[in-house]
Amino acid sequence: MKAFMLFGHRFLILMATVLLISCSSLSVIRHTDPAAAADAIQRCRRPFLDIPYRVVHSIEAALPGGKTGTVVGVTVFDPAAGTIHSVIMTIEGFVLFDARHDKGELRVDRAAAPFDGGHFAAHIMEDVRLIFLAPQGRLADAGLLENGSSICRYYENQDRIVDVVVHQDDTWEIETYRASHERLRKIRAFSVHDRIPGILELTGFESSNYSLRLKLISAEPVTAQEPGVRSQDSE
Amino acid sequence: MDFTMIDSRATKCVFLIMMILSCPVMLGWADNWEDIQKESARIKSVSAHFSQEKHMQILTKPLVSKGRFYFQAPDSIRWEYTSPVKSVLLMHKGNIKRYTMDNKGIVEESGGTVEAMQIVLQEISLWSKGQFTGNKHFSATIKGTKGPQIILTPKEKGLSAMISRIVINLSADRPGVMKSVKIVENEGNYTLFEFIDVQINENISETFFREVE
Repeated sequence: MKAFMLFGHRFLILMATVLLISCSSLSVIRHTDPAAAADAIQRCRRPFLDIPYRVVHSIEAALPGGKTGTVVGVTVFDPAAGTIHSVIMTIEGFVLFDARHDKGELRVDRAAAPFDGGHFAAHIMEDVRLIFLAPQGRLADAGLLENGSSICRYYENQDRIVDVVVHQDDTWEIETYRASHERLRKIRAFSVHDRIPGILELTGFESSNYSLRLKLISAEPVTAQEPGVRSQDSE
Repeated sequence: MDFTMIDSRATKCVFLIMMILSCPVMLGWADNWEDIQKESARIKSVSAHFSQEKHMQILTKPLVSKGRFYFQAPDSIRWEYTSPVKSVLLMHKGNIKRYTMDNKGIVEESGGTVEAMQIVLQEISLWSKGQFTGNKHFSATIKGTKGPQIILTPKEKGLSAMISRIVINLSADRPGVMKSVKIVENEGNYTLFEFIDVQINENISETFFREVE
């Protein structure tokens, strides 16, 4: 009986450890005064540009098992319309992936493996949306972190929590969690000039960890009439 | 995003493009296949600067990359991008390696491209002899005489879904030099490679095809 109880304790400790590892705790939001919350909400807009933009990045991917690869990504997004057009190609210019997200619908024009598998295209576009478009969910809380950074917490559909953190030096982070506080994604932006980061790092924590490092090649505003910005209806 | 799983058609396309680009002077300056094969036989090495313009509907102006490439008969290639992404592809005696510059410096990429490359290396040895006709992957036609144009059309359905045609322009004023290669994926989407400062049969050290630096 004593041995069983000892095993039971060990089992509980093991389970607690597993839970601690798989579930990150959300950052604690400090509420100093209403003006600080309003200021935080304002600052949380900084990562998300207000007008249509075209950005070109080199993308270094680090995958489970130490596998690596570099591709080039072109993204055109229109924050007002909520549209995204994303193209991923090899360094030699060969297009591997071409898809657009428009009014909640995903259209894939080209997807060479591994981009053609299951929900891969949807996951890629979700990562792209997370980086470039403001969270669509309900703003649940806003305030400051212990270190003085502004934080806004959104609750999105499908039980997802999105934390947008803007540091005092204008670099920023976005983290997403399940309602169970299991961390899903972390995005960090560095070398920010005129609200556009020179480097973005995305880490995925789901079934297997992966990371993408996006280095800015070019960024330019585009008109809503340009190809890639227009919605499917107008093309 | 498992890059070891990149579509074999895509991998093959990329390396077939490499193969074509590795032969900028092998095509010679001729308007028939027999002369092209004759011209090709005298080519031992090639080096050149290149610019790569990617034209796409999503872009209003092309995405321009620059670099250098080196070829040594029968099948050694160094394909090096200097901007905007630093990258080196080395092919030598059946070994294929690719390096890119990341935040940790020059690193070797790990990917499953070797199998596709074995096929391509076999093709390179054929193309380096000017043997375009009877090619397994492309059918070839020549247009014009001085500064002729060679048009390659994919034979396989898998390839034709990725590339509609490849147009090779030979120099009109410098016999034996390829001026440009246009790889058309579909209307509005193509890649244009242009070559300058082409050097033929200069001595290139073997280590250049084995080591990245």
